[in-house]
Amino acid sequence: MATSTIHSGIQALDEVLQGIRLGDNVVWQVDHLEDYRYFAEPFAEAAIAENRQLVYLRFASHPPVLVNRPGIETVELDPSLGFDYFTREVHLLIEAHGPEVMYVFDNLSALVVEWATDELLANFFQITCPYLFELNTVAYFALTRGQHAHYAVARVRDTTQILVDVYHAKNQIHIHPIKVWDRYSPQMFLPHLVGGENWLPLSHSREAAEVLASARQSPLLETTRPMAPWESVYQKLVHYGDTPSGFDETDPEQLALKQELSRMLIGHHPVFNRLADLYFTLDDLFAIRNRLIGAGRIGGKAAGMLLAQRILLTEKDEAGIDFSERLDDHDSFYIGSDVFFTFLVNNDLFRLRLQLTCDSTTSHEEFQEIEHRFLAGRFSPTIQEQFRAMLDYYGQAPIIVRSSSLLEDSFGNSFAGKYRSVFCANQGNPEARLADFMEAVKLVYASALNPDALCYRSKRGLGANDEQMAILVQRVSGMPYQKYFFPTLAGVAFSRNLYAWSDRIDIRQGIIRLVFGLGTRAVERVGSDYPRMIAISHPQLRPEVGVKVSKYSQHQMDLLNLETNQFETHFLTDVLNKGDYPRLHLFLSVMRDNYPYDPISGKVDGRTEQWVLTFNNLISRTDFVPLMGNLLARLEEAYGQPVDVEFTASVDASDRIRINLLQCRPLFTPGSLVDVSVPTSLERQQILFRSHRMICGGLVERIRYILYIDPQRYYRLGSEAKKSLGRLVGQINRHPAIQADKIVMMGPGRWGSGNIDLGVNVTYADIDNAAVLVEVALEEAGHVPEVSYGTHFFQDLVEAQIIYLPVYPDDTASEFQKEFFEAAPNVLLEFLPHASEYKSVLRLIDVPKTTEGGFAQVVADQQRRHAVCFLNTGATPMLKKGGEDS
Amino acid sequence: MAELNPFKIAQAQLDAAAERLRLDLATHDLLRWPQQELRVTLPIQMDDGKIQIFHAYRIQYNTARGPAKGGIRWHPEETIDTIRALAAWMTWKTAVVDIPLGGGKGGVTCNPKWMSEAEKQRLARGYIRAIASQISVSKDVPAPDVYTTPQIMAWMMDEYETLVGHHHPGVITGKPIPLGGSEGRGDSTARGGVYVTREAAKILNLDLRDKTMAIQGFGNAGQYAALLGNEILGLKLIAASDSQGGIYNAKGLDPKQVVDYKLKSGSLKGFPGADSISNEELLELEATVLFPSALENVITAANADRIRCKISCELANGPTTPEADEILYQNKVFVIPDFLANAGGVTVSYFEQVQNTYNFYWPLEEVHERLDQKMTRAFHGVYQMYLQEKVNMRQAAYLVSVARVAEACKLRGWV
Repeated sequence: MATSTIHSGIQALDEVLQGIRLGDNVVWQVDHLEDYRYFAEPFAEAAIAENRQLVYLRFASHPPVLVNRPGIETVELDPSLGFDYFTREVHLLIEAHGPEVMYVFDNLSALVVEWATDELLANFFQITCPYLFELNTVAYFALTRGQHAHYAVARVRDTTQILVDVYHAKNQIHIHPIKVWDRYSPQMFLPHLVGGENWLPLSHSREAAEVLASARQSPLLETTRPMAPWESVYQKLVHYGDTPSGFDETDPEQLALKQELSRMLIGHHPVFNRLADLYFTLDDLFAIRNRLIGAGRIGGKAAGMLLAQRILLTEKDEAGIDFSERLDDHDSFYIGSDVFFTFLVNNDLFRLRLQLTCDSTTSHEEFQEIEHRFLAGRFSPTIQEQFRAMLDYYGQAPIIVRSSSLLEDSFGNSFAGKYRSVFCANQGNPEARLADFMEAVKLVYASALNPDALCYRSKRGLGANDEQMAILVQRVSGMPYQKYFFPTLAGVAFSRNLYAWSDRIDIRQGIIRLVFGLGTRAVERVGSDYPRMIAISHPQLRPEVGVKVSKYSQHQMDLLNLETNQFETHFLTDVLNKGDYPRLHLFLSVMRDNYPYDPISGKVDGRTEQWVLTFNNLISRTDFVPLMGNLLARLEEAYGQPVDVEFTASVDASDRIRINLLQCRPLFTPGSLVDVSVPTSLERQQILFRSHRMICGGLVERIRYILYIDPQRYYRLGSEAKKSLGRLVGQINRHPAIQADKIVMMGPGRWGSGNIDLGVNVTYADIDNAAVLVEVALEEAGHVPEVSYGTHFFQDLVEAQIIYLPVYPDDTASEFQKEFFEAAPNVLLEFLPHASEYKSVLRLIDVPKTTEGGFAQVVADQQRRHAVCFLNTGATPMLKKGGEDS
Repeated sequence: MAELNPFKIAQAQLDAAAERLRLDLATHDLLRWPQQELRVTLPIQMDDGKIQIFHAYRIQYNTARGPAKGGIRWHPEETIDTIRALAAWMTWKTAVVDIPLGGGKGGVTCNPKWMSEAEKQRLARGYIRAIASQISVSKDVPAPDVYTTPQIMAWMMDEYETLVGHHHPGVITGKPIPLGGSEGRGDSTARGGVYVTREAAKILNLDLRDKTMAIQGFGNAGQYAALLGNEILGLKLIAASDSQGGIYNAKGLDPKQVVDYKLKSGSLKGFPGADSISNEELLELEATVLFPSALENVITAANADRIRCKISCELANGPTTPEADEILYQNKVFVIPDFLANAGGVTVSYFEQVQNTYNFYWPLEEVHERLDQKMTRAFHGVYQMYLQEKVNMRQAAYLVSVARVAEACKLRGWV
């Protein structure tokens, strides 16, 4: 530890403090900026004189502390971009400047105006100060006295090396060192009169009492004139509410205050703000604040849920659905975003997070270690007390702790599946429930550092954005059944149907992915288990018939086990085998002789093994689908853009549906975490084909292989050869070298058709490694074939997010580059040496070999129904006419 | 270049049999063509109020041995030639099991995946109104087929009865049991296959008890084959597969547990106590009996040499290509051809029609007993031809059925 001192520029001050040392952070608690300037200017002057590097951090709206002149490097920063961003920028700046630099900061109190709470100010200080100390710098800070909460000043005092109170008494300026770390003199901590060469300590009791008594601030009380808008705005609004005329939104001042409160709770996104201003009453905002643990924002997920609820309850529509009778009340709590940072700061995790955000190469093993560090962290007693109160409120009702970060679920971003949600079955004694709950919160916090989330942030250019993790605590909807707890119905719904597998389906009317039990199975994709996909325009249509209805249905359910206190997955038939779950006949059909029969009475007959979850009677006998359709349409209209929602639903004894809306956000396609806008600047020779109909959008980069089954040659093939072709496709699909890379499979007609004249006869297992499956629909004698949309294994494609594209080579708009597919060297025999007789029809193209290192790429924009497959820039086909087969 | 028109393929198969049977030209020519074809155009109102035009067909291929019998297919790529071919195959199938029926088939070019239940019902009723004059229990008896269900059969029966003004349940089979469907239809295909496998084992001098079976395709037929193969024949299930892949355990898998797992989870994947196996590997296992029960064309010239089972009982349609057939025959793999092996389904359909006519319904045991008799007799009929003509079992089955139909035509004095 360095102990060398520097000059403060004021000899008398150096004597009072026994010298300022390298490593010191010096905080001046002042009434006026002038008082801060009184000390900062000589400090700067001395630094310049001694040729020390001096940086002035300029971020406040007050006049400059230092006059700009040679020797001062002024760096301007914008705190309005948020605490996280600002802190990171300061950190990077300090890092870049290295050791033994002198810093002067603008008055820190200005930050509170931007960040709303004293908590974040204290957090900033608590993070920045130790770093400066490590680097042997000297930094000057100021705080406006009497405008910050006591706890915040206390945290500043605890962190800094030097804290000096500056005040005026009897028209004279005094300093009063409150803390001078590692230094001591018998008179050091007395008030000193500033003036002359020696600043005299007020050691006489009468003098000291007179001076201190005339100083303005009462030393023990909380501030009476809070500067932090979090408190001040709220208090003013409460005051207006208490006046006889009540809160008046037509008064511009009151309206501005309400909007400010809304921004503090919801954030600054213009679309959210517009909706919040339009739909939230002051009471709504107060209700949010009253259920907020800690301070700060409630995050995108919570805001989306609350706004959607309010929109539905406010807007009436022609269909006459009164959502006040159809929506469940919610009684959620929010953990403010400031709590996240305080947790990071108090548990020495913030710097770790800064490093990881900048360098997103954390392995999953390293992440486990990070999770352990989070789990070892502690919450402050105040926050724990609030947690306790919340848990007391819920009693033993199961709850879910959901991430609700500021970037999450807001417009244009979605971190679906990246940030965590943790169920708490919430059983056991209060201590055990608190421990479980805190563990859940810590796991959600840790997920902000999840490699996938960091990678997503980085890819979206959000790496440096203010990302604070608020938390939404929701009651799990549902009811106990046996030893379990789960909602009857749950799922996600999209106001646009991006999975229209038939031209009859109106994509503007949306789609529902519905499951029985907890909605995790609808949100996440679980491979061989399938939610029911309901097209709102044609709810009874499904891509399966007969026995396939059973295959493509949900077989397992997620639930909370109240005995084990765990989230669990069970086979439906194991849970429902008693047959006494209410309204079961609405959800189940009975498979007999390969066909599903819908129960005609309130009883489900047949053996449990014959039961299949179709929701057929729910769809045909209740207003569930129109209700959801109406809900989505209203939300889409209010948001002004397509939305997706997460919900649970219940059915009462008279088959009346009630919805619990858990989340609403601008439409996000599951799995597509990337920008799928089709590039407009492609050269003609880059494009391999375009398609204007598809299921599953997304982006597939670095496609190494293209398997192209030549349609004309396929149709000319003998029937025996045709029959064997599907097996060869399967062998290519399973080849280890192919599995290690990405492949597009292009074939004539309907993949998976049992009729070899209609398409290549494969099963899903023969094509499941394809990233993109292309149905080449050749026009035959003027007849444009109807495309299958992959309906032979539609649900598999949806769940595995395999992009399915029909392409019409005869349509000039498809820009189909037939020559590329026909002339590219065929590497089939390198993979399947025994397949030589098929090499003219089965063409395996190694794209980098054909294009001198280039790769193919597919971008499929579901919303615009436009996809393109192209060679990446610089890669042009190197084709010899009539390329030789290998 | 091979001929791809399915009807031309069916004609070629007949030609081969006719040549071997030395059928006279007129009989041969008669059997090459459908006896009657009905082509109708159906205007159907859709849910949105628009009228959509559907093209539909009903073909009675040959009724010399009795009323035509065959399913109604609803498929977007339906063509009259597909239906002609399938109607011909129904003729041979009813003949090979020696039930007093001819062969027929019908279809509507439509995509039922794109239609609501109400639209399907209107289409079903519209179709029956258009073909009502050509069907009845004594003329032509349709049944479910691709994308048509017992529910659709029920609507069709109801429409027909409305038109004729009295009960006439035997006009259509594959109905739900409460409307006159037969007991025992669910496992009829697999059960018929198991009965003929038992007979094949007898003539091969194989004791199947504790021998092994492998099942490719674990839909309805495959599941029942696992259960009944074990229950009736004492076979030990060692492998089964579905579209997601297969499971294998040389020491044996409990068929009931495997079926329960498949029903519960929707797939075989992850069945405890078994190794994974691909569909292709399963076919090549050394199992005594192989039940190809899923796809067409899984045994081809490419893998036929590696098929090591003793008996291949084809519960699926067309699992073996003609080239592969010849290789299996040379390698002494005993193939029970599809239209014999899976004729249990049409046989129970026939039982349904008989019970409807008598308005008297048999208990399940009686259905099983009668099915056993029919299948056993059918098997031996084909086997005798196999011995006599020294052809493979598929060719033998064709010879038996064509000869029976030809004989009926002759007796009627048609040729």
